[in-house]
Amino acid sequence: MSALLQARGVRKSFGGVEVLHGVDLDAAAGSVLALLGENGAGKSTLVKILAGDYTADAGEFVIDGLQYDHLNPITTRAAGIRMIHQEFQDAPTLTVGENISLGRLPTRRGVVHWREVRTRAERVLGQMGVDLDPDAPVGSLRIGERQIVEIARALSDEARVLILDEPTAALSQQEVDRLFEFLDRLRSQGAAIIYITHRLDEVHAISDRVQVLRDGSVAALGQTKEFDRRTLVQAMIGRSAGEVSRPARRSWQLGEKPVLELRNAGVERAFADVSLKVFPGEVVALYGQLGSGSAEVAEAVFGLRSLDAGEVRVDGKPAPARGPATSIGRGVGFVPADRKGEGILGVRPVAENVAAPSWRRLARFKVLVSRRSEAAAYRRWHDALSIRSRNDPLQAIATLSGGNQQKVVLARWLERGSPLLVMNEPTRGVDVGARAELYRSMRDLARQGIGMLVATSDYEEVVQVADRAVVMARGRAVAELDGGEITTQRLLTEAGG
Amino acid sequence: MTEHENVAAPPAVVPAEPLLRSQRARRILARVPEWAVLVVVLGALIAFFSARSPYFFQTDNFINILIASAVVGIIACPTTMLLIAGQFDLSVGAGVALVTAMFATSFVGGDGAFLSVLLGLAVGVGIGALNGFLVTVVGVNALITTIGTLGAMRAFAYIRTDGQAIGFEGFTTLGIDRPFLNIPWMVWIFVLIVLITGFVMKQTTYGRALYAIGANPTAARLAGIRTRYVIFIGFVISGLAVGLTGLLVASQTGQGSGNAAIGLEFQAVTAVILGGASLAGGRGSIIGTILGVLVIGVINNGLVLLNVVSFWQDVVRNLLLIAAVAIDQLRLRLARE
Repeated sequence: MSALLQARGVRKSFGGVEVLHGVDLDAAAGSVLALLGENGAGKSTLVKILAGDYTADAGEFVIDGLQYDHLNPITTRAAGIRMIHQEFQDAPTLTVGENISLGRLPTRRGVVHWREVRTRAERVLGQMGVDLDPDAPVGSLRIGERQIVEIARALSDEARVLILDEPTAALSQQEVDRLFEFLDRLRSQGAAIIYITHRLDEVHAISDRVQVLRDGSVAALGQTKEFDRRTLVQAMIGRSAGEVSRPARRSWQLGEKPVLELRNAGVERAFADVSLKVFPGEVVALYGQLGSGSAEVAEAVFGLRSLDAGEVRVDGKPAPARGPATSIGRGVGFVPADRKGEGILGVRPVAENVAAPSWRRLARFKVLVSRRSEAAAYRRWHDALSIRSRNDPLQAIATLSGGNQQKVVLARWLERGSPLLVMNEPTRGVDVGARAELYRSMRDLARQGIGMLVATSDYEEVVQVADRAVVMARGRAVAELDGGEITTQRLLTEAGG
Repeated sequence: MTEHENVAAPPAVVPAEPLLRSQRARRILARVPEWAVLVVVLGALIAFFSARSPYFFQTDNFINILIASAVVGIIACPTTMLLIAGQFDLSVGAGVALVTAMFATSFVGGDGAFLSVLLGLAVGVGIGALNGFLVTVVGVNALITTIGTLGAMRAFAYIRTDGQAIGFEGFTTLGIDRPFLNIPWMVWIFVLIVLITGFVMKQTTYGRALYAIGANPTAARLAGIRTRYVIFIGFVISGLAVGLTGLLVASQTGQGSGNAAIGLEFQAVTAVILGGASLAGGRGSIIGTILGVLVIGVINNGLVLLNVVSFWQDVVRNLLLIAAVAIDQLRLRLARE
């Protein structure tokens, strides 16, 4: 095997914490290497070093027989290493042609040679077998097409090593198939491809070799055909699999009528044919990776997205999307994923943050709110949720830690008396200790008869908090796990399939 | 590993020791409102001008300061409400000019005081509703919207008056008559507006909603606040104040003119920012704004008494605006640390 790109003993620390402990990697010409690992295993850091975005603390690199002590964007570019990032790095207002030639627009006598821009785009798109208008603004394309433009840019730039960081997160199955065709063609033309993914089915569909990272070290390496789904998951989660514990067995009865019911619900380009029920006193997780549709289902339940198919019923009654105020009136509370951007009123006091949806009820004549009634609302939940703060209702919420901010957001809906809570990534950016407390609070709320729908991409979260789990992939509910069936192994396996 | 991308280099400058080590002292200080410093500034200015001019510390002069501050003060109250919600209304000065023009032409044309007053108020509310519609329904940025209506309204005022000042007699109640304590109606109206808006901002769900929207519009919406409706009403209130102020200015000057109230929006915004409202939204108070109005009023008055050329007053006022915004930025930075 001729390695086009070799990395040996790559080390990297951030803020005194080493996240790569001397990792090797080989990318061979005419071969696809699948790079796997949990969030935080070091995949993205490793490939960013290979692309020259980060500088390694230690390590040696051989590209095409030439040895380097470290890589920078200029050397990697000259060597033909191209990376497709997870987030698009295109210019949405520019055309397909301009994006493909971005940063190296052909010129003639100092003026942009527009005909060449177009022919270059047509040539590379033709090679890829896609029919895209070179003059269309990239922002007007579908996500999958934008991805293709990104790849076309890398190809037209004579990529010899192509790195793709979770390129299919937002793609439909059709678009994924198309992408794999390109990659296949590239491979036969002798390119070396490094492919990062969370999806186990893709590993077997596209890769020749597989390398699994865990906690900054190589946990497994070999020919793809030597691994099956189970051994890959085993390698990814390692010992940590047993460390996450299930909540105590439920000691309370669920309500008889579902507080939430989805019937064959669908939103175009997000999810389709999702049916589920949440009963009072139950925590149901919607587990799925980014782009699987789980977050979108949660948003649709709260009325932020209109269904194109099926229906949502809250407390037995049809609940078409009419915006947040109406949903709240129906008894739905919502905890958004982006706490700072969408959850908290940062500069305002914690008491107002708790009281906001309940102001009309707390007010005299529905109009006159007092600091005292808000403070009382805050104190009602301060101890119950063990919110750690100065116990000062006027403290600005932004000064609390992430976990405590999230508790205040929870308290907001408890004060409102919402029988159904919809949460989107409730513990994102919350440290481990606070996470455990939040899970305990959520279980407590369930005991009190509140129904919860928790959309999350964190499988350990599902294991620790859910009574039932609906697994989503590519906009579909692919499995439903109940009680003891909810294990990290099962979740990863089902979501990968 | 993307979570490591944001790991910052160690700060180049060693952070200064906290000014107050004691938690308790900090807590007490946190309770001191932001506008407290303005009370000190106001006191210092009054002491300074009193020492420099024998005419400053006189009851009549204080009434003059209040009269001079009333117009800006009445406009600054709804400006505060909107800025707290993260919105701007820069069309207020032009709106006032149009109201004076509409009132004067109608009054001179023999429509009678009552009808003409109603017309003036309706024009103000209409401008506010137009701004509110453009911002909340059409979705044009508030700054752009109100700069646009600013230009259009002033042009309308010139068209209505043929570019002339339309003088009239017999409408002095609002702007000139002094019902009691030798203080004119416009100052009493100013006080009344301050009390009403201050109450709304401190004690009502509507005021809370404005603060919430300014702090984080998305979070406010997700918490069930009907943000567009709240902002629309805010612009209508601003328009109502424009109508009222237009009538006061017309009554005080005895004319309607496209040249009325030039720069009023900037005087109002200066006072509001000086009073502690944040350009970032979510912070501010009516009482702070009023202190800001009075600081500006005292400076203007004092400089006149010290025979400083009036252009210097403009220089001082505009420097004050920049200083106020700079202080706002410093405050935001401190809050982040």
